[in-house]
Amino acid sequence: MEKFETAVDVLKNNLADAIVELKVPRPRKAYILLKSERHRDAVSLLLKHVEESMLSTISGVDLGTEIELNYHMVCGGTVTLKNRVPREKPVTKTITDILPGANLYEREVFDLLGVVFEGHPNLERLLLPDGWPKGNYPLRRDWTPPLIQENDSGSEEDSQNNSEEDDVGSLVSVVVGPQHPVLHEPERFNFTVDGETVVDVKPRLGYVHRGIEKAAERMMYFQDVFLVERICGICNAAHTTVFCQAVEDIGNIETPPRALYLRTIVHELNRVHSHLLLLGVGGHLLGFEALFQHVWRDREPVMDIIEQITGNRLMSGFNTIGGVRRDINPNTVEKALKTVKAVRKRAVFYKNVFEEDATLRLRTEGVGVLSKEVALKLCVVGPVLRGSGVASDVRKDDPYAAYAEIPFNVPCYDECDTWARLMVRVDEVVESLNILDYAFNNLPGGRLRVRVQRKIPEGEAVSRVEAPRGELIHYVKSDGTAYPYRVKVRAPTLANLLAFPDAIRGGYIADIPSVMGSLDPCFSCTDRMAFVDTANGQKWRWSLDDVNSHKNRRVLL
Amino acid sequence: MTKKRRRLPALIKDMGSCLFKKPFTQEYPFVSVQAPEGYRGRQTFDPEKCISCGLCERDCPAKAIELVEVSGKRMPYFYLDRCIFCYQCAEGCPRNAIQLSTNFEMSTTEKDELLVKAEEFISKQNISSDEGQ
Ligand code: SF4
Ligand code: SF4
Repeated sequence: MEKFETAVDVLKNNLADAIVELKVPRPRKAYILLKSERHRDAVSLLLKHVEESMLSTISGVDLGTEIELNYHMVCGGTVTLKNRVPREKPVTKTITDILPGANLYEREVFDLLGVVFEGHPNLERLLLPDGWPKGNYPLRRDWTPPLIQENDSGSEEDSQNNSEEDDVGSLVSVVVGPQHPVLHEPERFNFTVDGETVVDVKPRLGYVHRGIEKAAERMMYFQDVFLVERICGICNAAHTTVFCQAVEDIGNIETPPRALYLRTIVHELNRVHSHLLLLGVGGHLLGFEALFQHVWRDREPVMDIIEQITGNRLMSGFNTIGGVRRDINPNTVEKALKTVKAVRKRAVFYKNVFEEDATLRLRTEGVGVLSKEVALKLCVVGPVLRGSGVASDVRKDDPYAAYAEIPFNVPCYDECDTWARLMVRVDEVVESLNILDYAFNNLPGGRLRVRVQRKIPEGEAVSRVEAPRGELIHYVKSDGTAYPYRVKVRAPTLANLLAFPDAIRGGYIADIPSVMGSLDPCFSCTDRMAFVDTANGQKWRWSLDDVNSHKNRRVLL
Repeated sequence: MTKKRRRLPALIKDMGSCLFKKPFTQEYPFVSVQAPEGYRGRQTFDPEKCISCGLCERDCPAKAIELVEVSGKRMPYFYLDRCIFCYQCAEGCPRNAIQLSTNFEMSTTEKDELLVKAEEFISKQNISSDEGQ
């Protein structure tokens, strides 16, 4: 909280001439309209003066004659820096040289809104297929889908790109995916290997891109809740919570306390089962099948509780704008408390397994190292960030729902490796179960939801939650109708993906699955694609300076 | 860091005890499974209560409802292949004509079977009221 005030003060004092408008409508949320092309100054100021500040995402909004670029900076709260560029000639300067983590976000805006970022090392398509016709920018307001049907040339170019990468010297490229037994979701990885050592990786995502942001503009707010819920099955409660929060923010809707507690409960149950799933998958990827089976067995009671509370095992359909949709009865609370107790016992046991099992430690310790500095530079989030020694958690830093009232700890490990990232999750399961225990026992009475008009007043809001995989951010802009003007979603995996090449470089092929798994990627959430190029025969082990030097960045990012 | 002394893996006891337990999995479909109360399954519809307001059709986020004229009254058809079981329709219906059931068994080899017509509920009601008399 102090951090947030420092951030706003720093900008006010040092950049007074560039600030056109400054609004702080809620605690820990600032919206600052800057004079054109002053965003770089603002970002560098924040990076310099506010410790551990990062970029959440960049959301582009088509305003008609201008395109507004919102740089959502995390410094305690969210400082949104607005830079407007003319729609006719949408060109602006990149910030990737100041903050490499902006790479994918700038590419996303370039891809979907056609804004050119001067000086970007690798400004290419991120989400759309390679054969997508030029000049079609889906997120511009006047774009409609039928335009592209005739000349969609599909994936031909795509496969050509693939064959370009010739093997150089002892380097061999290995393509994994889009359909591959090791992957749970369609995505493609192009690994460059030298013997057993991974030299580089070039992921290509976008295979499950469904255009949800565009679709959201055509549905009413309350219908969008069901739409954003389907961005990702496993963290559906996080998506609905964050979306509802944003809309409630715009409409100044007071959510009743009971609803906030119930939201917290479902959100935490989500986290417990998501983390247990990942820990099981972690075992599976390491070849420890018994661990996988056991953890998944113990995850099942959690699913049963979710089913009983929300009416479905997975798609909770629980949150709505202004509250929650159903109540919880005392019998369920009693049963849930029993389950929480039983699962906690198991979680403590698994912590012991992860700490003591010699093979497991050998396979994960010192593997996939992501140092604290790199993690901050690349703006990674969630358990990946906490496994690299930064104790950052939206629930603590920027409390929402009922988290301000509930005591809990933020587990954090300094080892920076796969093991640390797994341990963070084991500890978080225990913490989540404690939160659940508290929430069930201190459930306030009162109403479940308030009546909300279909039309939401004009305005904008950024909302963040800590999804199981890390910080999830939605930006919603309303023009006073029942339909949102713009919904922007940044799922945690997109933030963490940038770290994958860094974590795996120099590792063994056999470690690829476990390192990937420890980032807990969820591609239907992310559905975006990425990066990099190499194949120049160079071996790695780059220092941070190498990463930052301009020459290398082209190759790296 | 890692302890040099070899010990038994911590999971081994658990694994052993599982040998003597019956399988954790359920024997569905040979043994039927009951969904918990409040589970959002297939809709039921009460034609008597419906006032043809069309709210369900308008609000359905998946566009799974179509109002069709049935015996002189416009009533909803449910396309279950599109339905996402969110129950916005039941929530919005001013007369509570749509109710949820815990019936989750909808798998079929015929896509047509996934269209739930309002007529189905009319005939069912007639049968049950006949039985009652
Ligand atoms: S449950 Fe939801 S998707 Fe299905 S018919 Fe009702 S409103 Fe439509
Ligand atoms: S909302 Fe209810 S009353 Fe209105 S048409 Fe649908 S089923 Fe009938």
